[in-house]
This record gives sequence, C-alpha cells and structure tokens, in this order.
Amino acid sequence: MNEHPQSETLFDEYALGVIEGEELHALRAHLQMCEECSRKAEQARARITLIGLASPPATPSPAVRQRLLESVRPLARRPEVLPVRVASRPWVVPALAVAAVALACLTGFLLIRNQQLSLRLESLESSQTQVRAIEQRQQATAKRSRAVLDLLSSHSTIKVSLAAVKARPVPQGKAFYSPEKGLVFYATNLPHLPIDRTYQLWLLPKSGKPISAGIFETDKAGNGQILLPPLPRGIPAKAFAVTVEPEGGRPQPTGKMVLLGAAS
Amino acid sequence: MSKVPGNAEPRATDLELIRRVAEGDEPALARLYDRYSGIVYSVAHRVLQDSGAAEEVLQDIFYQLWCTAANYDASRGGLGGWLLVSARNRAIDRLRRRKPATTTEDERIALPGNLESEVAQTELILKVKSALDILAAPQRQALELAYFEGMTHSEIAERTGQPLGTVKTRLRAALETLRQVLNP
Repeated sequence: MNEHPQSETLFDEYALGVIEGEELHALRAHLQMCEECSRKAEQARARITLIGLASPPATPSPAVRQRLLESVRPLARRPEVLPVRVASRPWVVPALAVAAVALACLTGFLLIRNQQLSLRLESLESSQTQVRAIEQRQQATAKRSRAVLDLLSSHSTIKVSLAAVKARPVPQGKAFYSPEKGLVFYATNLPHLPIDRTYQLWLLPKSGKPISAGIFETDKAGNGQILLPPLPRGIPAKAFAVTVEPEGGRPQPTGKMVLLGAAS
Repeated sequence: MSKVPGNAEPRATDLELIRRVAEGDEPALARLYDRYSGIVYSVAHRVLQDSGAAEEVLQDIFYQLWCTAANYDASRGGLGGWLLVSARNRAIDRLRRRKPATTTEDERIALPGNLESEVAQTELILKVKSALDILAAPQRQALELAYFEGMTHSEIAERTGQPLGTVKTRLRAALETLRQVLNP
C-alpha cells in the first residue's frame, strides 16, 4: 500500500486487530514509511484502548493485593549491594546488582506462578461451567445513552465540580448541566449512609427555591450518579448541592450539605 | 452518617509513585494497585470470564510494573493507558492460549483522557459506556468479539455465521460512531 488509506476507519480496524492477511501486511508497510499515518494509527490505538473501560465493573479478591505485596516484599527497599572487593573490575558491582534484581524478579515470578497454579488446581477441582450471558440492551438504554453523550459533548453544557463543604475534599461530585438538555451528575468517595438516610441532589436556581434533582444511593466505593432526572427546562443554575436527607428525600433541603459547587 | 475517611498523605501522581516503586517502595506499589486494579481486573475478567484467571493476570501485570518501574518513560504515555493495553493483551493471550504477542514497550500509549483520579475515571467510563450503548446490537457484538476476544474479521464472521462483508460493514459503522464520540 503506497497510498494513504482511503478511510480513517482503517486505522481503528488496525488498532482493534481485526485486519488480517495481505491487507494487514500492506498497511504495516505503509505505516513504516508514512509518519502522518503512523500518528493517526497511534491515535486510533488510544481510542480503541478506551473500549476496555466499558467492561462491567468487577472487584478482585483482597487476597490478590496481599499476594502481590508479599511477593515483592523480599525486594522492597533493597539494601545496598554487599561491599564485595572488586576494585579491579568496577563493572562487577552494578552488573551483580542488575543480575540480583533480575534473578529476584524471576524468582518472584516463579513463586507467583506456582502459587497461581495451586489456586487454579483448587479452582478446577470445583469447576463450574460459566454460561456467558448475552447482553440485551433496551431501546430505552440506547436513547438515554445518546442523550447523556449529547449532553456531555455539547458546547452549551456547563461543567460544575462539587467539593466537600468541610475538611478534606475527598468526596467529589461533577455536574454536567444544560438548561435545555438536562443534567448528568456523578459523585465519588461519598461516605455510606445509614439505611434511613439518602443523598439528594439539588439544583439551586439563580432565583427561587432549590429544585430537587433526585435522590441517589452509593456503591461500596462511595460512587453514585443521577442521569437525566426530570427537571423543569430552561432554568439557569446558580449552583448544585448534595444534602443528606431522610429516606425517600424531601421537597426542600433539610439535612447536612456534603457537596456544593457553583456554576460559573 | 459515617465520617469521611481521612487521607493523611497528599495525593501523589502516578509518576511520583512509579519513581518510588522503582526505588523499592512497597506502599507506593500498593497505592498504584488501589488506583488501577479495578480497571485492570474488570478488563481481564470481561475477557476471560473467570475470576481466578483474571486475578492471575492482574497480579502478573502489577508484578511486572514492580520489576520494570525503573525503565518507565512518562513521555511514551501514561500508566493508565499502559495498564489498560496490558490487561487486554495479556487476557486475550491467555484466552487464546498463545504466547505474548506484544512487549511492554509496544503497550505504551497516550490515552485521550486522564485516569489518575476517580472522578476522571468515572467521567471517561460513563462516556465510553454511553458510546457503546448507542450502537446497534449486531455492531456492538462484532466490536466486543474483536476487542474482548481478539477476533479478526473472518473469525467474527465464523462465530456469528454472518458473511464477511456484513461483519466488516458492521464493524466499520461501529468504529465510525466511536471515533465521532470519543475524539477529544
């Protein structure tokens, strides 16, 4: 392939790894010669990589973290290399150091592999056939996602960062708001609430009383979100806030405010 | 309401933590693990559909990070991108029972977005998920077979029983949509 690819999508197909045979060889040969296309291929690779973020969220067992840290512990804060007397061969000390680290890593890797094989064996003994569920997406989901994307990408959308009212700004929130298109909000690191309490998001208009944008729960990591809540259209926002309210929420804020962000 | 957990140490950047890891700092590795293990594991689990195998991939990737942190070159792309690429490649290699097809250096990439903070991760995840949600079901299926199972055009055609031309058309339409949505 001496000419530039006719379609930009070819770079995405290449990054995805679906091209094969003669087409693949020709494109690779062209990329080696063409700086501009190489740059486009690199951009496509980054874009395609993002697809992985759509994986259903899954949490590894805490034992993995423990095993990892145990495996590196013998190498942690490595002491200085032993003072071997090798003055006539100054390269020996650094060479030994590199070899020692490499050997230690190899040993650690083999230990991990051994550990993993043992675990796999246990797992196989109680193996279960996993049936992969085919994801059925609803028309409503697609419609809503399109609206979310539209809102996130729109030039008229304002982006408001909400920070903790007190103490360290560990809990955070972000609101994307367009008076015409609606509101997308998400928060992270919020503390878990008692069962009879809930978080409630408020739109604080430039004039008038706060308007409830809905209540939300948080997952184990303290993440919560509200997508496109039913709000009256055309209301300019002065700020957004999150309060803690009794279960089911309240028409007007009554509880402690935990997040606040002004719309600039 | 429970109290907000304190965070005595200021938030370190990926680069600061990697430098510390290169010096043999175990807590720095733990912090990077806490920051990225969810993403890495989710990708590996989606590919392999097996918790044990996905955990092995996860542990291997962070162990490799420990061993190669001294060679880290920030100019070649951020840690989040490398971890995402590694998770996909290693999991697919394992799924297809093949030897690693890429090296660590091949996996360096500059993502069009930042994954260092949870807020940034959430925003990017929301955007990518929404982008996939708007694809037609056959387009999404073809894209997922390619991304999560490492299939080529002809392999997807064989798996789905669709003509090769149809598979290519669907994938191109899906990729065109993604490109429009995910371009900065």
